[in-house]
Amino acid sequence: MSAQAMTATVEPATTPGPDPPLAEARRGFGADLWRAVGRNRKALAGLILLGFFLVLAVFPGQVAPHDPNAEVYQPALGPSAHHWFGTTAYGQDVLSQLIWGTRQSVIIAFAVGGLATALAVLIGVSAAYLGGIADGVLSLVFPLIIVIAAYEKNSGLFTLVVVLGALGWSYGARQLRSQTLSLRTRDFLESARVRGERKSYVIVFEILPTMTSLIVATFLGGALYAVLAAAGLQFIGLGDPNSQSWGTMLYWAENNEALGANMVLWAIMPGICVAGLGAAFALLNYAFDEISNPALRMRRLDRQIDTARNEAPVRRDGPPEPDGILAVRGLTVAYASDDGPVVAVDNVDLDVGRGEFLGIVGESGCGKSTLLYAIARLLGPPFAGQIMKGEILFQGRDLVALTERQLRHVRWREFSVVMQSAMNALNPVLSIRAQMRDACKAHSNLTAKAIEERSKEVLRLVSIDPLHLDSYPHQLSGGMRQRAMIAMALLFTPDLIIMDEPTSALDVVAQRSLMVQIKELQHKLGFAVVFVTHDMSLVSHFSDRVLVMYAAQVAEFGKTRQIFEHARHPYTRALLDAFPSIHGPKVHLAGIPGTPPDLSRPPAGCRFAPRCPHVMPRCTSAVPPLFNVERDLVRCVLYENGELPEGALATASQGAV
Amino acid sequence: MTEPLLRTEGLTRHFRVGKLLSGQTLHAVDDVDLTIGRGEIVALVGESGSGKSTIARLLARVYKPTSGEIYFEGKPLSGMRSRRQRLAYCSDVPMVFQDPYSSINPAYRIAHAIGRGVRLHRRGLGHKGRRLEVEQVLDAVGLVPSGAAARKFPYELSGGQRQRVGFAQALAFRPKLIIADEPVSMLDVSIRIGILNLMSELREREGVSFLYITHDVASARYIADRVLVMYAGHLVEEGPTEAVLQRPKHPYTQLLLSAVPDPRAELRLSDKTDVGEPPKVIDPGEGCRFQPRCPFAIERCEVETPRLRPIGVHRLVACHVAEADAEDLHPDDAHLALTDS
Repeated sequence: MSAQAMTATVEPATTPGPDPPLAEARRGFGADLWRAVGRNRKALAGLILLGFFLVLAVFPGQVAPHDPNAEVYQPALGPSAHHWFGTTAYGQDVLSQLIWGTRQSVIIAFAVGGLATALAVLIGVSAAYLGGIADGVLSLVFPLIIVIAAYEKNSGLFTLVVVLGALGWSYGARQLRSQTLSLRTRDFLESARVRGERKSYVIVFEILPTMTSLIVATFLGGALYAVLAAAGLQFIGLGDPNSQSWGTMLYWAENNEALGANMVLWAIMPGICVAGLGAAFALLNYAFDEISNPALRMRRLDRQIDTARNEAPVRRDGPPEPDGILAVRGLTVAYASDDGPVVAVDNVDLDVGRGEFLGIVGESGCGKSTLLYAIARLLGPPFAGQIMKGEILFQGRDLVALTERQLRHVRWREFSVVMQSAMNALNPVLSIRAQMRDACKAHSNLTAKAIEERSKEVLRLVSIDPLHLDSYPHQLSGGMRQRAMIAMALLFTPDLIIMDEPTSALDVVAQRSLMVQIKELQHKLGFAVVFVTHDMSLVSHFSDRVLVMYAAQVAEFGKTRQIFEHARHPYTRALLDAFPSIHGPKVHLAGIPGTPPDLSRPPAGCRFAPRCPHVMPRCTSAVPPLFNVERDLVRCVLYENGELPEGALATASQGAV
Repeated sequence: MTEPLLRTEGLTRHFRVGKLLSGQTLHAVDDVDLTIGRGEIVALVGESGSGKSTIARLLARVYKPTSGEIYFEGKPLSGMRSRRQRLAYCSDVPMVFQDPYSSINPAYRIAHAIGRGVRLHRRGLGHKGRRLEVEQVLDAVGLVPSGAAARKFPYELSGGQRQRVGFAQALAFRPKLIIADEPVSMLDVSIRIGILNLMSELREREGVSFLYITHDVASARYIADRVLVMYAGHLVEEGPTEAVLQRPKHPYTQLLLSAVPDPRAELRLSDKTDVGEPPKVIDPGEGCRFQPRCPFAIERCEVETPRLRPIGVHRLVACHVAEADAEDLHPDDAHLALTDS
């Protein structure tokens, strides 16, 4: 094989790979973090507030107008120009006391936050990663510290920090522990072990960096808790009464019944300061959550997509077929992203006949799953896409116009959905019987007896022994779980079943038998199937028609046999030639160079042009329409004048050998 | 056959399952003898749960064998005492993982993921030498320009590119054998071929051997010299790839082959569909483990575990029923299949 073929499979460095929402979640911390902070209002507010208190804490002497302890002013004064917040019962300036008191609260916040985080990391992560005895011993030792610290007579600042820190680690530790447990099965940790790393290296340099956001959250949460707890302890007199802090101020104000006297601000202002500093940490905590997990952020999607955008022209070939069960017209779906709307389904038209099996194929990120979720009207968190325009005519009704309430009558009863991973789609803590019953109750008013009968019946349909009604999902094998999913989809004998790669988690043998079973059920019950997959060969024997999607658009749409025997679009041809066969001569394959385009910045003109072996100058000027070539729709200018002569594209798809 | 680089003898791994007292034993891998030659690509084929990933982890020393021994370049692994010897083995036999989305630490740039291995196993290189090495292996796996690729974070790469990083990590150790555990099964069909081509290219150029673990028979045919078929913890068939795939002897191999979807073949919906799946082998008795699903099972299969036996040239099968074809008895045939690529 030549070096040329090697490098040909690498895309240009300018197109980043994965879909935008995921990409951000995995972003490293650095310059991106600052940009994100600048855009996040909560982060800005939190930083300004915290900055304000930090200045007070570091330079109280410069900021405070008076000596906080000097009992030289007239006691119990109201607010005035000279004493903004009045004076205490002992004749001290309240404002100056507040400013000097900031220091202790800030020290406590950072010290306790730091201590609690350090303990949480140490205990949570090592306990989870090392497991066993370490877990138990560490959890026992630290409560003891509280007792020892509390025994100390003079409960000064240090004691306070130690006690609060020893109390505050447990919440963070639990979270870090469970996070570490879930990481333990991740391959990069196993990879480090296989590489020969020591355990200490794995914990410090492999596990901790991936938990930055959780550790920061633990710190901020710990700081917030420390500010509140310290003020509370001091208020009830458990702190050093001579210390300079907000809590101590509250304590003295309370003892002098400040609220009843003319010293309301003496009692209120420390509370406001505690709340203010707490709010700063809380805001930062929220902001950090949002930045590290973009799914929490609300984005507005403008209904108006730029109409000058390079949009796929569609041909309307008359009304839908009379026996059609589903007709999709001009469907366009977009996701909101920080870089503007990402159109994941672009003007797609398709029809499904009664009892037909339609395969939708394409690479990851080409919009096929989005199309399917849009048809089922299941877009919504975490699939935060929106239908921008188009119609989805199902049995004559436009699903786009239906409300969620109206949809409930249609969904599952008239069409149902089978998801990719049955393990995720089934509820792990409910038996199959309970899940069948829930589905029946949500969508019908069948009696308990009827539900039981029906559940048994559909399980028998998919060759599962009805005994398994009492089984839980984890007790079933992968193939059986998918069968159970299909059985649930059949509960109301729908007219259409929408399937999203239902076999891709299965081995070949189980995959084959499931496909055959779906086909047999279809013969028996007459429902139509829309089947999404990235593996074109999988649908070759089972679908009636195939729709090939590329970069959100229909690339080719036609009868299965015709497409497999005589694919027209260069992309379809490339997909078909992408994988080896177990029969026939062994040939070298080159695959498809590059990756599908980033949908937030699709290339001008034909979207396959950058990877196409037949690209011509005019391919990049305008999106080609779908040409009708002997009832096969093809989006490629090669077919502008109808069919190509025999062998015109013969050699190119073999690639560089 | 080439002189073996790695050889196992009676390799066995059992896991205890269930509660402490009612302890049961899961036989993940039972009594496996396999060899991998220098510069050879061996495919280990089977369904999930057949024990093929356990073999990968035994060879990578993640698990210790319950019994049996692994010999690398003639020396038994159980004889390794010092950390230095173990590190040396780690660098000779790295592993590439199935899921490119979880096999690279998301917190670091690509350069770190590769450089760390270089630092661990080739201490002589300085900072600059490491950087050059990182760029060189990125070049070798086709991630160009390698300088830019090294500065990226994993999230900036597609699944196929990440899997290339996985191979680059392994290559940076200057390995002799790469264990590739289903390296393409999580990738789109359209980019799998690039990874397969990469493997055969690395074999040609760097002389690395591969143990290619997969459930996809067609991809095994595309790159492997020899194929080993596993079922429920046992090796059931072994031989030159073309011979095994064109004339499968074990009924399980036949079932596996018939399940491969092939658009070029005619559809036979009338095929008897097999709804069974590989069993979890818990406290097994004697007998062939495929026998409950086997259409050709005879009485003997229930009482006697079939051992791997020679059937034709370079071919082994663990089946009481299988018989040799005339073609397999012809010595030239196996030789042809080995060189055909």
